[in-house]
Amino acid sequence: MPRSRTPMAQLPRTRLLVITGKGGVGKSTVSAALALALARSGKRVLLCEVNSGGRATALLGYPPAGPELTRLEGELWSVDVRPAEAMREYIMKRVRIERVYRALFENPLVRAFLRFIPSLAETVMLGKILWHVRDADGARPRWDVVVADAPATGHALTFLGVPQVLLDTLPPGTMAEEATWMRDLLVDPAVTKALVVALPEELPILESLELAAGLRALHLALTAVVLNQATEPRFLPADVAALAPLPRLEALARAHVEQANRTRQAVQRLSTLAAPVFELPRLYRGAMDRASIEALGATLLAGFKGWA
Amino acid sequence: MKPLAEALRSRGVVVCVGPGGVGKTTLAAALALQGAALGRKSLVCTIDPARRLASALGLSELGNIARRISESELQAAGIQLAAPVQAMMLDMKQSWDELIARSASPEQSERILANRFYQSLSSALAGSQEYIALEKLWELHSAGTQDLLVLDTPPTAQALDFLDAPARVMDFFGSDTARWLLTPALRGTKVGLRLFGLGGNLISRALSRVVGGQTLSDLATFLLAMSGMNEGFRERAQAVRALLASQETVVVLVTGPAAERREEAVRFHHSLREQRLNVAAVVVNQVHADVDPEDVAAAARLPEPLRSKLERTLSEGHQLALADAQSIRELRAAVAPTPLLTVPRFEGDVHDLSALWRAGTYLVSDTTPGEGQAAAAAARGA
Repeated sequence: MPRSRTPMAQLPRTRLLVITGKGGVGKSTVSAALALALARSGKRVLLCEVNSGGRATALLGYPPAGPELTRLEGELWSVDVRPAEAMREYIMKRVRIERVYRALFENPLVRAFLRFIPSLAETVMLGKILWHVRDADGARPRWDVVVADAPATGHALTFLGVPQVLLDTLPPGTMAEEATWMRDLLVDPAVTKALVVALPEELPILESLELAAGLRALHLALTAVVLNQATEPRFLPADVAALAPLPRLEALARAHVEQANRTRQAVQRLSTLAAPVFELPRLYRGAMDRASIEALGATLLAGFKGWA
Repeated sequence: MKPLAEALRSRGVVVCVGPGGVGKTTLAAALALQGAALGRKSLVCTIDPARRLASALGLSELGNIARRISESELQAAGIQLAAPVQAMMLDMKQSWDELIARSASPEQSERILANRFYQSLSSALAGSQEYIALEKLWELHSAGTQDLLVLDTPPTAQALDFLDAPARVMDFFGSDTARWLLTPALRGTKVGLRLFGLGGNLISRALSRVVGGQTLSDLATFLLAMSGMNEGFRERAQAVRALLASQETVVVLVTGPAAERREEAVRFHHSLREQRLNVAAVVVNQVHADVDPEDVAAAARLPEPLRSKLERTLSEGHQLALADAQSIRELRAAVAPTPLLTVPRFEGDVHDLSALWRAGTYLVSDTTPGEGQAAAAAARGA
């Protein structure tokens, strides 16, 4: 089969999919849905949450993810990357001897000291995620794709920017070496792609545009924008005009028209980002249940395949 | 009287905490407006990295200097205030520089400003912003020029770090071990080496392997340069912690009605109480109002296709309202006896002054809109 240059072929090759966006736009939902859909399509998927309390995993109907890798179903696994455990893993990889680790960590001063090193927690958490990306199972990678449910805008940029800041900051040495391979994986568009989740409202859109600019400054490839809670047009101008004698219903129709307009405007503004924009229809149930997540994931994956 | 009206009248500091995306920044600004309406000189300070408050307040830019919200803008929005209201957004780097300049001698601050650890500490790096935000809060509070300070905070996971920041700083600068560690370093000549000579070479070698030897000695140099300021840091950290826990301060936990948010909010509420902070209220923002049965009946009398379009829209609205009401009931029970207030969802964004004002009235007005009809009527009618 000839290699396609369409994004359809790009997504499956992506090893790390970083999902970010303003707080509350549905990052965890999109992460969970996409991880599930990718696993269903036959990929070995690790859903990485970043100190979230395991929320994305819970959305799939499983107990919230913990700091240990857990198999959810088939080849879908999840983990909640937490600072303390990530630090321990990181240090154990460095010092290798449990006795030394304990000597370090039973020393309250050293503990306080490590906590004081700026961004060490972020470094070890990002390091753990990227370590999973590099992890090999013989000749092939352990995971076809790692889906990272990243923090919200400001913190995501800080989080993803940590390797570069460390490189600008640190003298050559252990941490700088760590930062180098981490940065190299993040900026390699064949490895890492970012996906921004947005909502069709003024402030979230502004923030998404800022976020995309921030990702570009970090040299991260933006693969797509997902516009969550999109509203399809329903009322025609004639419908609204016909409702003039019934002001409250007219207001209701107008509100819906405005919602649909906001969706259209959001798509227009997000289209300036030179990445495809997927619309996810707004759902009117309460909590997202497993069925809605499955439907969402299928829609998303179909969207990726539909890129031309 | 609503618990928040009480707080705005009598307290000096209101800290808004909660997960991202629930309108925390917006409600912080709304509270400052209401405070000013009650005759208290108010200031809202946000540390959110995305510049949301700026656009919410219609300001093109915010900086470390508080700016008064323009009288004419307020008038244009039909808002009558009894006292001025100001807004600002923290510039992290500038705040750190100011703190150092204030706390250290000129040569000392020059050494600190040049140190690469300081460079990273004071710029975009995670972790330091919580501390500097509290520093700023303390500074604003000590200046005593405002009656009411409303502080916005970063989203959930970070917000707890945020409240914990003074304790962490005290932990570091205040522990006997740290002092023991830094004092010989101050006197010694081989600063970095002395610093990590503790506990024998095993620890220092292991630490070097973890963060790199050069990093360690650079950091030691930095801590040495900072060490003259330790007492000041410690005192301020203690003072900020005391201010947060005092009767002067209340915390407002802002969340959304979505069921996915509930557990997070309950966890958050629990840890705030555990830290002995005065939680004045849990505010559920953006609550969907229920549809009016009269509207449903009116829609049923209309011809197709208008009728099905409206019925579908009304049914969607009803679904959303039902889900919210259920979620709020559970949250109310889980956080009792902390009062729970609801703010309806407004059509469109709340990003102009009149919308901010309207949102604020739900936090202070004497009427108690329930999860259902009153809020519905208000959201439609206002």
